[in-house]
This record gives sequence, structure tokens and C-alpha cells, in this order.
Amino acid sequence: MTVIVSPEGAMSPEAGPPGTTRATLRRNFWRGVWRVLRRKPSRMAGVVIVALFALMGVAGPLLYPAQLPRDDDALYAPPSLAHPFGTDFEGTDVLALVVTGARYVLLTGLATAVITVALGTLIGLVAGFHRGRWDTLLMRLTDMNLAIPGLPLLLVLSTVWKFESPLEMGLVLGVLGWGGIARAVRSQTLSLRERGFIEAARGLGLPTRHIIGRELLPSMAPYIAMNMLIAVTGAVYAQVGLFFLGVLPFESSNWGVMLNLAVFNGGALTTPAALPYLMAPLIAILLLTLGIVLIVDAMDEIFNPRLREE
Amino acid sequence: MTAHTAAPHMAARDMEAPGVRIRDLTVVYKTPSGELPAVRGVDIALAPGTITGVVGESGSGKSTLALSLLNAVQPPGRIAAGSVEIDGLGDVLTLRGEDLRRARGRQVGYVFQAAQNSLNPLKTIGKQLLDLGRSHDVEDLRALVRDAKDLLARMGMDGARVLDSYQHELSGGMRQRVGIMLALVLNAKVVVLDEPTTALDMITQATILRIIREVHEERALTTLVITHDVGAVAEVADSLAVMYGGRVVEHGPVTEVLGDARHPYTQGLIRAIPRLTGDLSLARALPGRPPTLGTLPKQGCVFRERCERRMDVCETDEPMSVNRDGRTVACHATDRHLTLVKRKEFV
Amino acid sequence: MITGTGITKIFKQRGGVLGAREVPALRGVDFAIAKGGAASFIGESGSGKTTLGRIIAGLETHDAGEIVIDGVPMSPLSHRARQPYFRRVQLIHQDPYSALNPTRTIHQTLEAPLRLRAKQTGRPRSWVDGRAEELLAMVGIDPGYVLPRYPHQLSGGMRQRVVIARALTMDPEVLVADEAVSMIDVSLRLGILALLKDLRERLGVGVLFITHDIATARYVGDDGELYVLYRGQVVERGATEKIIADPVHPYTQSLLSAIPVLHGLERPGAERVVPREMQREGLPDGGCLFARRCPFSTERCESEMPVLGRDGGPGTETEQEHACFHPERRGVIPVGVGE
Repeated sequence: MTVIVSPEGAMSPEAGPPGTTRATLRRNFWRGVWRVLRRKPSRMAGVVIVALFALMGVAGPLLYPAQLPRDDDALYAPPSLAHPFGTDFEGTDVLALVVTGARYVLLTGLATAVITVALGTLIGLVAGFHRGRWDTLLMRLTDMNLAIPGLPLLLVLSTVWKFESPLEMGLVLGVLGWGGIARAVRSQTLSLRERGFIEAARGLGLPTRHIIGRELLPSMAPYIAMNMLIAVTGAVYAQVGLFFLGVLPFESSNWGVMLNLAVFNGGALTTPAALPYLMAPLIAILLLTLGIVLIVDAMDEIFNPRLREE
Repeated sequence: MTAHTAAPHMAARDMEAPGVRIRDLTVVYKTPSGELPAVRGVDIALAPGTITGVVGESGSGKSTLALSLLNAVQPPGRIAAGSVEIDGLGDVLTLRGEDLRRARGRQVGYVFQAAQNSLNPLKTIGKQLLDLGRSHDVEDLRALVRDAKDLLARMGMDGARVLDSYQHELSGGMRQRVGIMLALVLNAKVVVLDEPTTALDMITQATILRIIREVHEERALTTLVITHDVGAVAEVADSLAVMYGGRVVEHGPVTEVLGDARHPYTQGLIRAIPRLTGDLSLARALPGRPPTLGTLPKQGCVFRERCERRMDVCETDEPMSVNRDGRTVACHATDRHLTLVKRKEFV
Repeated sequence: MITGTGITKIFKQRGGVLGAREVPALRGVDFAIAKGGAASFIGESGSGKTTLGRIIAGLETHDAGEIVIDGVPMSPLSHRARQPYFRRVQLIHQDPYSALNPTRTIHQTLEAPLRLRAKQTGRPRSWVDGRAEELLAMVGIDPGYVLPRYPHQLSGGMRQRVVIARALTMDPEVLVADEAVSMIDVSLRLGILALLKDLRERLGVGVLFITHDIATARYVGDDGELYVLYRGQVVERGATEKIIADPVHPYTQSLLSAIPVLHGLERPGAERVVPREMQREGLPDGGCLFARRCPFSTERCESEMPVLGRDGGPGTETEQEHACFHPERRGVIPVGVGE
């Protein structure tokens, strides 16, 4: 019985040259991402919104002078052509405040997301892959992290720390928030490590570094990316909330500070005059969340080759 | 088998086995590249009181065909054309809503693929039986339970114990029998079994196949067995339909189809089955691979790419199903062969 | 050459009011696979055949017994020192769908182990790509077509071939194929089986073939040895073709009788054996493991455990080894029509 060389479907016309170099793969990946995003108009809308905010964060402060102009004749001015969202208590344009305040908010969000996801993924992966003692130790650590009451700790911290830089703020929020992701990544790892391809990699004697980095991690990429995006919104809420409550010192202008001033100084909840001042940062936050949620929908398809290539 | 007491809901008990006629059935699935046919132009009749086996590999459309019998094709699938007539019920494909729901279970029993896993893990088998009875407005639930116990006993199980069990307390073979019981307890006369022996051990499989055969005969059923396993069908079926790429390429009495296959696919498939006896050197796998919805050729014969007897006409024309002495074959090569022979006779 | 003697594995089931329960998965199994040889293990689920395969591939440990790889006994070695030996045994999974990483192309899947192999054997890195193509050609697929693709773009049969190619990257001495064709389309199964047989002949790779379908064992190792496992014990063992043609243990006969008959091509054997159904779990104390299901069991079977041997009754010997007090030939396998 020698029927080996009857390759099924071999010599297909679409074979072409084996484009297997890293560069080709990367190019194909980004083409796939583009294809996935174009599949639904909502995703494109999300991309546009997030790109807009990113641009705001990068270039926003450059559009305006360092000291925003004040118009003493127009305190709490209603929306007009010159001031689409009116002005604040000093007569500064609210739109300009939103745009210049975006950098702090977004940087915090990004820093938080990167730190949560990096810490959470690393700890979850190691715990889930090695199991045993490592798992016990890291999971106790995770439990402790989850048990830390974030708000009171921040209150205490803010008495000694000014959080001038958004990165400091992000660092604190990130270090406080990785527990959930670590748990989730661990359970994903535990189920993935029983899959045939992980077992095969171990059977072949491939190094642990390879198995975790090249086999496990890509399989969890959609999950991690989703968590990262959602962590951004979480961090934005947390930080805006802290400023709104007035817990943190106002060292810089940002959306949370605006909300706080609009409500507690301008009385936006009782008088209509300060309403645009209140609404502007709120709308910004809502839009940003919406944009991120719309993109999250595409993550599954982006990181799954089957869904990406179809 | 113990005689069943004639409960009101069992009036249909003494009815003869119904016939089933599937005519020109086409089922399409919506895909990014348009609607593609998973089943195309299938004509097949299930003779009353027989077991028909449908054999096919992945992508042959056999499971879609089975679902069509219940008019249960789910979106993105859609029955695009054809009719499924069951004696005493009419065209199933025209039934809607409540009528359709009643027909499922009452007239057509369905044993799901991997019935082992289609039971509710949170309820005892007995509870699930009562749910089934209530949803079909069975008045005499006691009689229903009695019938269920009889059926289970008939299949070699302790009925009372099984009804008190949860799914996880039963072995794979026992679950499969419970699945058969649930399909038959409302006295369905047409039974569809989708992959009834997949994932079962050899000895259990043999037991289940024997039970299918015996229950079929005792209850005068018309049975359809869908499977990828030619052996399983060969063991129980009276007639065998071979599906490939959404068509029935060959259909006839099981001993004839296996003993004297006419379609090149059937021939290749039989040659490819690992067997206990026979010359190892004659066995070989079919070249190529089974088609998927996307790779099915738009015109011509669906099997031509793997066929050793393909001709020019196979590229362009789809072969018609030709019925000759009780056997149906859809193949240009077989056709031509026969017509040539005929001509010789006439010359 | 790999041999095992007295391989025993006990699973401890946790929980329950009565505390841990010990379930023997393997009860002193002996086996040997020679270079280019074939050993087929047949059994139902729960027979311990998968556990045995995983132990031989070094993915699981055993509780008693000794595995000897190339003359080196494994038990005195540390876990780390065993690894290079167990790497000469590669497992081919049952499920070609989960055995390949869906996020990596076939090229990436083969590249990683080949790089490792290049390092181990002191070959240059340029060797890797050529070797990947060579291996794919060896398993009968077109490298140009397969290499840049992701697993989902391949059929089940092709995937299984890729899995075999990946196992070959380590130049193994033995492939452990656990139900390697059960998830492959029927029309393609023989291709995979023939490939395994071909690799035995071409590369001298031994194949440990684990299956519940006895017929498939013929196509990989008709010249090899067949082991019939029941509840962790080998109940019959001998030349594959001999046991299939002439089984003497009632359990083997039950298995062979259960194989569906292709009516039209075959007639059923005259003496098909149907085992009794086990109404309740549980085994006789110290008796034959199969006694309660065996249609031919006697009082002796209930109280005494038969051991593997050739005793064929007064003054006779059977060709194969069996663990039965009443070995008897029975015509259980189907007879071809017209043979």
C-alpha cells in the first residue's frame, strides 16, 4: 500500500510563493485589520472618534496658547459661534478647555491600561502556566490586590502626593487595578494549556519562554486587547470621578476639574448658565467611551486569523 | 415488548408506518459570498416501515437534510425550494408555528447528534420527560411515564432508575437510549437519528444499532439514520443514500449499493473503509478533500475533482439522477456506460 | 527501541464522603516497540490506552514499572535528565483541530521546533526552511501551498499531516498515534494510516498506534504486534493479523463482533460474541476483570485472576498470549462475499 504521494488538494493554483517572512505576515495582519474595521460602519465610526481624541491629546495643547485667553465680559456665556460650548467662570472658552484638558485624561487612561494589562497578564500567565506553588503565591497576591480599597487609599495618597503628571496618576490607578485581569488571564491560561498545541509544544521541548510568549499569548490577544481598551474607559471614569469629588488637588486643567467647578462653583445643577460648562466634558467622556466600545467589537475578528481572513 | 395500554394520546398507535417523500429539496446558507446551497435538488423517498441510511462526509449536507425533515433549518440557512411530505401530516415545509411544534415529537421524533449531550444536566430524565409531555399537552402523564419505562426496559435498562437519574449519572450508551426513548415516547412514527453512534465505544455502538433495528420493527416506524460511518448504516439500514456536496449521488438497497456500487464516489468510499478482512493493497484513500460550501463547483458534477472517471461533460453539466431497477445514480460516466451497453444490444 | 515492563498507573479520585478512591488505569502493562516496528493498542474508553500513550510520550508519570529507552532505564533519572529521551517519542493527538495553534501559520508552527533541533544538532539556521519543506513533502503535502497558511485554511486530513510533520521535526524514534484518524473524514483516513506505515518503512520510526477501531490497526501495522487492553490489563497480545483472524479471548472476540458488517460485501461471522451488559459497576474480587460481562465465564473466573500466557487448554498452546482460562477460537469476524 503505497499511496502516500497523493497529496490532498496539493498543487493548488492559488499556492503562489511562500510569503512567510515576518514583514509579509505583518503586512497581511494590518491588511486584515483594515478589512475587519471596514466590515461594519460602526467600527469605522469608533476608529474616527478615538483617532480624533488621540489627535486632541497630542496636538490639542499646541492649538491654544499656554494661558488660555479670558473674556471678562462673557462669564458663563451661553453657546455661540465664538464659543460653541459657552465659557466658564473666568470667561475662558469651554471647548478650548476640553481640548487642552484631553491630554491629561487620555495619558492617565493609557498609562493605567498599559500597567494593568501588563501586570495582570504577566501574573495571570505565570500563575496559570506553572500552577502549583507559583500559582498559590501569585493568586494570594492577586486576592490582596483585589481587596485593597482603592478610593480611601487614593484619598490618603493625595494628601502627600500631588499627581501633577498624568503618568503618576496612571501608575497609581494601574497598580491598584490589575487584579481582575490577572484572575481572568489565569483561568484562560489554565484552559489553554490543556489544548493540544500547547501540549505538543511541551512535548517538543520548546522553551517555556516560547510557549508563553508565542503560543499562549497570541491566543489570548483578543481578550487582552479588549481588557486594555475597557481599562482605558475605567481609568478615565476613576480619575475624572476623583477630580470631580475634589479629592485630588487641581494642579492642571482636565475634564474632572471642569466638572467639579461647573457643579460646585457654577451651580450647574441649579442654574442653566453653567450647563454648557458641565455638558462639554460629559459629552467628551461619553464620546470617548462610545468610540472605544465600538472598536472593542472588532477585537475578536482582528486577532483570530479565521475571522480576519474571511 | 409489553403491550402498551391504549392511552388517548396513543390513538395513532396502530397506524401503519408512514411514507416520507422529499422532493427537489434545496437548502441554502447565507455567506459573505452570497447564498450557497448546502443541499441541492434532493429527491428521496423513504419507503414506509424501512430504515434509510444517509451517508456522507463533512460538508455533504446530510445534517441539513435531517433538519429539513423537521423544517428546523436555522438561519443563516433557509429552505429555498422543495417539499417534504409525510403521510398523515402533509408537507412539513408548509407548517408554521404551533402546528410545526406539535408535529415535532408527535409525528417526527428526532434523536440529536451526540444525544449524549443534548439532555439538560440540571433536571432528572423523568422531569425532562414530563416537560416534554406537558409541552405537547399530554393529558395522561402517568401513561406517558409508563410508556417511557416500558421503552427503557425494552432497551435493557431499569426504567424507574433511569428516570430518577441526572444526565451525568448515565453512560454514553445509556444517554443515547434515553434520547431514543424521548424521540419515541410521544409515539412518533417517523424517526430521524443524527449520528446515533458517534463517540460511542464499539460494543456500545453494536448494542445501540441492534436496539434501533429492533425498536424500529416492533413499533412499525419509518426511520432515517444520518451518519458518516458507512459501517453503522450497513449494519441497520434497508436502503442507503450516499450524499456528496449537497446531492444524493447514489441511492438503493443497502446490499446492492455496497456490493455493487455504481457511483465513483461510492466506489471510492467503500475502497477507503478500513476493514477486518480483504486485501490491504487494494484499499486506498480518495484523492483530494471533501468540498465545503465555498469550494463547491458552481456548475457541473460536484465530485469531478476527485473522480477518476471524469469526462469533459462533467465540467459543464450536472449529472441527472437516473433511476434504474430500484437504484438511483447521478453520474455521467455510469450513464454513458449503460447507454453504450444498451446500444450494443440494439445494434 | 523502547520497552516497558509492569507499567502501572493509579488515578486517585478526590472527594466523596469516603475520601480518596483509587482507580487503577493501568495494571502492569508490558510492551516493546522495535525500530520501525508497530505496536497497536486496542481498547474501549477507560481501557487505559490513552494514559499509556501519554506515559510513553513522557507527558504523564507512572506509579510503578520501568520504561527503557535505548537501553537506558528512566526511573533512576531526574525529571530533567529524562527529557531528551522522551523527546524521541512524539505524540500525535487525536484532534488535529486543537493540535495546531490557530494564530500561527504552518511555517511558524514548524519553524520553532526546527530551530531548536538545529541548535541541538549544530546545524546552521538556514537548514530550517529547507527541512520544513522536506518534512511536508514527506508527509505528502505541497509545502508551497501549506507553509503560509493558517490551520483553519486546511482540511482535517492536511492538518493531521502537518501534525505528523511537526512530530518528525525532532527526528523521533517512536510516534505515538492516539486515535489519529478518528476525527478525519472517512475517505481520507486510509491516507493517514498509509502515511504512518510508510514512515515506518522509510524512516525506521516505530509507531505506537492507539485506537478503538481494530480494523485501522491492520493498515498501520499488519506485521506488528497487537495488544488488547481491558480495564488497564493486556488481555490478549500477539501478531496483529493473527489476533484479528483468530482471537481467543472473549473480550477480543466481543470487540471484533461489534464491528459493523458491510452487508453486500461481507457476511457476519457465524459465532459473534455479545458480552453481557454490566448493570452495575464494580469488579469481582481477585477474579478475571471481564468475568461479569463474559458469556463464557465460570466459577473459576470469578475468583482467580488469569495472567497473560499461552496455555491453550490441556497439552496445547495458543500462538498468541492471552489472559483467559478458557481460550477458544470462534468465528467472529465477517467473511467477505465471494471469498
